Amino acid sequence: MIGASRRHRSDGGAWFPALFPGLVLRADFLRPYVLKPIPDLHFCDREPIRVPGAIQPHGRMLVLDGTTQALQAWSANWADVAPAALSVLDAQVLGETPADGSSVQVGVLDLASRRHVCWAHRNATQLIVECEPQAEVLRPEAPIYGLARDFLPRLQAAGTVQALIDLAAQELQRLTGFGRTLVYRFDAEGHGEVLGEALMPGYESYLGLHFPASDIPQQARALYLSNRFRLIPDANYQAVPLLAAPDGPAPGEIDLSQAFLRSVSPVHLEYMRNMGTLASMSVSIVVDGRLWGLVSCHHHEPRLLESSVRAACSHLGQLLSMQIEAKQANAQVAARLDLRQLTLQLVAHLADSDASLRRILDEPAVLLRMARASGAAVVLDEQVWTTGETPPSPALVELAGWVAGLGSEVYQSDQLAAHYAPAADWQGTAAGVLAISISQVHRHVILWFRPEVVQTVTWAGDPRKSQQPDARGRIHPRLSFQRWAQQIGGRCLPWSGAEVSAAGELRQALIGIVLRRAEELAAIANELGRVNKELEAFSYTVSHDLRAPMRHIAGYVDLVMDTEGAALSERAHRYMRHVKSAAAFAGQLVDALLDFSRMGRTALKLKRVETAGLVQGLSLELSRHESGRRIEWRIAPDLPELTADPLLLQVAVRNLMGNAVKYSRDRDPAVITVRALRGPEGEGLEVEDNGVGFQMQYVGKLFNVFQRLHQSDEFEGTGIGLANVKRIVERHGGQVWAWGEPGQGARFGFVLPEARQNAGMHSPDGAPADHA
Amino acid sequence: MLKPILLVEDDLRDQELTLLALERSQLANEVVVLRDGAEALAYLRREGEHAAREEGNPAVILLDLKLPKVNGLEVLEAVRSSPALRSIPVVMLTSSQEESDLLRSYELGVNAYVVKPVEFKQFVSAIADLGVFWAVLNEPPPGSLRASRRYD
Repeated sequence: MIGASRRHRSDGGAWFPALFPGLVLRADFLRPYVLKPIPDLHFCDREPIRVPGAIQPHGRMLVLDGTTQALQAWSANWADVAPAALSVLDAQVLGETPADGSSVQVGVLDLASRRHVCWAHRNATQLIVECEPQAEVLRPEAPIYGLARDFLPRLQAAGTVQALIDLAAQELQRLTGFGRTLVYRFDAEGHGEVLGEALMPGYESYLGLHFPASDIPQQARALYLSNRFRLIPDANYQAVPLLAAPDGPAPGEIDLSQAFLRSVSPVHLEYMRNMGTLASMSVSIVVDGRLWGLVSCHHHEPRLLESSVRAACSHLGQLLSMQIEAKQANAQVAARLDLRQLTLQLVAHLADSDASLRRILDEPAVLLRMARASGAAVVLDEQVWTTGETPPSPALVELAGWVAGLGSEVYQSDQLAAHYAPAADWQGTAAGVLAISISQVHRHVILWFRPEVVQTVTWAGDPRKSQQPDARGRIHPRLSFQRWAQQIGGRCLPWSGAEVSAAGELRQALIGIVLRRAEELAAIANELGRVNKELEAFSYTVSHDLRAPMRHIAGYVDLVMDTEGAALSERAHRYMRHVKSAAAFAGQLVDALLDFSRMGRTALKLKRVETAGLVQGLSLELSRHESGRRIEWRIAPDLPELTADPLLLQVAVRNLMGNAVKYSRDRDPAVITVRALRGPEGEGLEVEDNGVGFQMQYVGKLFNVFQRLHQSDEFEGTGIGLANVKRIVERHGGQVWAWGEPGQGARFGFVLPEARQNAGMHSPDGAPADHA
Repeated sequence: MLKPILLVEDDLRDQELTLLALERSQLANEVVVLRDGAEALAYLRREGEHAAREEGNPAVILLDLKLPKVNGLEVLEAVRSSPALRSIPVVMLTSSQEESDLLRSYELGVNAYVVKPVEFKQFVSAIADLGVFWAVLNEPPPGSLRASRRYD
């Protein structure tokens, strides 16, 4: 039969494990891993561990008003001599007890023929005096001296944190004579792991055991930080209650958190007895203001430590804390330096390349080492590059999108699937991810992956057993310490702070490079603009100043021939004609060059242009100029409608058709075919003739300015027409090409993009239309 | 008395060739030749050394674009903004095919914009056309001979 009130107390499932003396454990200490929901009673957080209202029986306590030193309460084991004891103590010495809570010796008392040493410390409002019997064994020297003389040099000589821990475990065992000495470390989440131990015969090893963070409730952690030494000499003790003076505070309101006699919970004592541990002691290891770990001692028999030994243990804890702090700081600096080196290597490589982010994969080993990752990927929008083991590319694109959407510069998770469900599919390769987002605008993300570590963790007993009520209906402390292998799935090794910050640094550096690149491009654009302006000014000058002399030459030669022609010889006439035609040609060249430069500069005015009409008109015009020739025009009926600047398109088509007419002048009849081109890249025209053609080896030169493949006395021209065609087509985003065969003919074509299909408006057959 | 043709041209050779062309087009108009824009404006406004000239605007101004001191566009602008001169036909004669110059000229209200051809014969015929159109056709003085154009 379970009484309701009783169950209320026991349902909290709280007990004090011997591992952490004086502490309360929570029933839900393995919350993430138990299958069944546990009633979450924050009993432990309410446990009055600071104000138990009782002390352990190996000493006596006086509680005085902090200012008046009036006796407010005393432990019951004084019987009625408490006021007398107080009168023996020197009020002035008591008054000098420091305000910071530290404990000082304030005098001695002789009680029941035993000399007692009295200590005092202050809580917020009171002066707590604790008296304990003086040690009977006389030591040649206080153990603290040996600690400073022998232990400290060895501690300083230790190279690693592990060596420190091993030394500390042995030294504490030597000092205290406890059977089992353990050194724990707590990880970032508060889970404990036994890193070192010193055992006497008959004690089971706990080395390598893990303890869940929930073993130690928040208030207990706070107490570990403020009071770094705890001792329970005998778990079978009978607590001595505090008795209050009539006008004193209730015993349950007196803060004993700094008192070495503070009584602990009976549940914890029962737990200790179940473990066969009758004495326990622990010393906190505090690094950087955080509870880094604990040194914990257990003994099968009751064991009391005299004050000099307790002082040495506290001191050892401080020495160990300082040494660990120094070692860790050094190790962190070394790790950060190492990572920075790797980051610099990556950045230096990237800065030397074209600054494209994917170049970072040129150094795959460095990239992976930087984050101790097994795979890495660069995702630039839809493009993916990888090294090592990564999820498949489509998954990477989606993951990068998700990461970028989080809006954080650096993202890390050692359990990605818990936050991003699709990750569950590839936990084997990427249980955890570290990612940096390079651009806020684009999805530019660098990702590192670590595989799932099937972490085989040894827990201190099967956590689920602790949920079984015993025969009396109480949730019982764990009775066995069988090793329990808890496999944690879906997790990778956690990303260290140094790795995360190295990724952040890499991100900053990459952004720097990208920005510098953008600045360089902007500078180039500026420079281009300036050069363009210069060119404009240049061509303006050319158009004015170069044409004038050509005109003058031609004009005056004409005048000479007009006025003095009769007096000149036939040879002089011929010379004058050469001068004239040379000047005229120079004028044409200047005009052509200016046209060419204008083609590149004038803004495009895009319209829908019906090429059928354009080609038809041009063929008539060109035929008119070649009235003595027979030209057979074969113009396809389905010429496309193009999106283009009508004027420029006309110039381009005129050039192509004009060339066809010109280079087929030896043919009778000349056959010139104009047909439509339609393809994925757009629509366009092709002009083919049966003229002199050209050798394909020169096709690359054909479209260059002033490039001619024929001698100028063979075919007239400035050599700028095809350059114009190319420039016009390329300004429309199109492509131009040529095919030729000497003596057979040539074929020139172009396509412009974004032209809408208008097939079906004409009959699809390419029936030739003759315009001879 | 026919109104004169005002030719503003700084280049002596262009000046000579233009005059020859005008001569060959057998226009009866007197041609007043000035060498920079500032002088042209002084002439038109009858200022400075032109203060004493007879009243009346020229039949047409043939204006080179590139002129010392005040360039052709500035002269054109001044002519168009003056109520007394506004109605004079202005023909821009230039070596330049620059679109910006052409646009600017039309914006300012030019009557014609002629790029001087390199070929002398074309040049002659262009000048002749202009002279005939603006000096004669636009305002044929009673009794005057219709100038015949001559093409070689």
